[in-house]
Amino acid sequence: MLDIINRWIHGPKGSKDEAKSRLKFLLVHDQVDLSPAELDAMKTEIMEVISRYVNVDKSSAEFRLEKDAGSVALVSNVPVSRVVARAV
Amino acid sequence: MSECIVITSGKGGVGKTTTSANLAVALSKAGNKVAVVDADIGLRNLDVILGLENRIVYDLVHVIEGECRLKQALIKDKRNKNLFLLPAAQTRDKNSVNPEQMRELVSELKEDFDYVIVDCPAGIEQGFRNSIAGADRAIIVTTPEVSAIRDADRIIGLVEAAELPEPQLIINRFRQKMVDRGDMMNTEDIMEILAIPLVGIVPDHEEVIISANRGVPAAYDDESVVGESYRRLARRLCGEPEVPYIALTNGGFWSGFKRLFGITAGGTA
Repeated sequence: MLDIINRWIHGPKGSKDEAKSRLKFLLVHDQVDLSPAELDAMKTEIMEVISRYVNVDKSSAEFRLEKDAGSVALVSNVPVSRVVARAV
Repeated sequence: MSECIVITSGKGGVGKTTTSANLAVALSKAGNKVAVVDADIGLRNLDVILGLENRIVYDLVHVIEGECRLKQALIKDKRNKNLFLLPAAQTRDKNSVNPEQMRELVSELKEDFDYVIVDCPAGIEQGFRNSIAGADRAIIVTTPEVSAIRDADRIIGLVEAAELPEPQLIINRFRQKMVDRGDMMNTEDIMEILAIPLVGIVPDHEEVIISANRGVPAAYDDESVVGESYRRLARRLCGEPEVPYIALTNGGFWSGFKRLFGITAGGTA
């Protein structure tokens, strides 16, 4: 209800957030110059390496490129279910 | 000490030429001797914006090729004894000039002028490289749109690669009403993305088109809100970084009230 009143007074949610998030995505990819296929390949290879050491939930792993104050970072969130006992 | 400032953007149509003309007028009105150089060879327009198109005899390429002296090609603005235009050639292309020649031209201009403003062509090729060659610093013009900001980001990288100091940003065609209803990125959004210092905000206003129709930049008009934004920009560039930004009709209670009853004002900004 509060949301409806708010929207009544402030108008519908504008398009600027969409512009901003599309722009951020564009700039990161302009700078890194990796195709979506290459990004996927990188993700698969990184997951292979990680799963040699720990058990990971591949379906919920996240990889994304983010730009902050001029520099691009690869941000990943890989949930680990259980540490694998090291083979000697 | 004199200084050369290049006005650039990457994307075309965001207002580089209008910005160059108005900045040159505002700086000269403040008592500085200013030369404004149209580096858009083949597509000259700065002469038209300044209303000086009927007075061109020689151009930048004539000077560089030694067909005339620099002083012969400079057009004095009769309204303003401190402002001179060096027009671009209209029938040549950007490859008629190289960066070394531009550097020499700019250093010759700097001997006689306090400020040399270079209006850069759109794009990132030869015309851009020529324009930044003699510059001491760059000002990037953008509009609050995805495509313009994307290109501005690219240009910032190229300016830094050319070892110029960190460029400064002008946000052009700003529409406070659209920002208020969340349909346009605001100053903070743009600054967060481009991460360079802001030096000017110019509202989207019909005065810009009227002044272009007449060949009289808005910076000459003391009553104009657009003119005032350029005059404040000029002051910020001349060592007064704290000059406040003009309040462009903010939102608040009344705009919410009007929207509630379906009253929307027309016009821009």
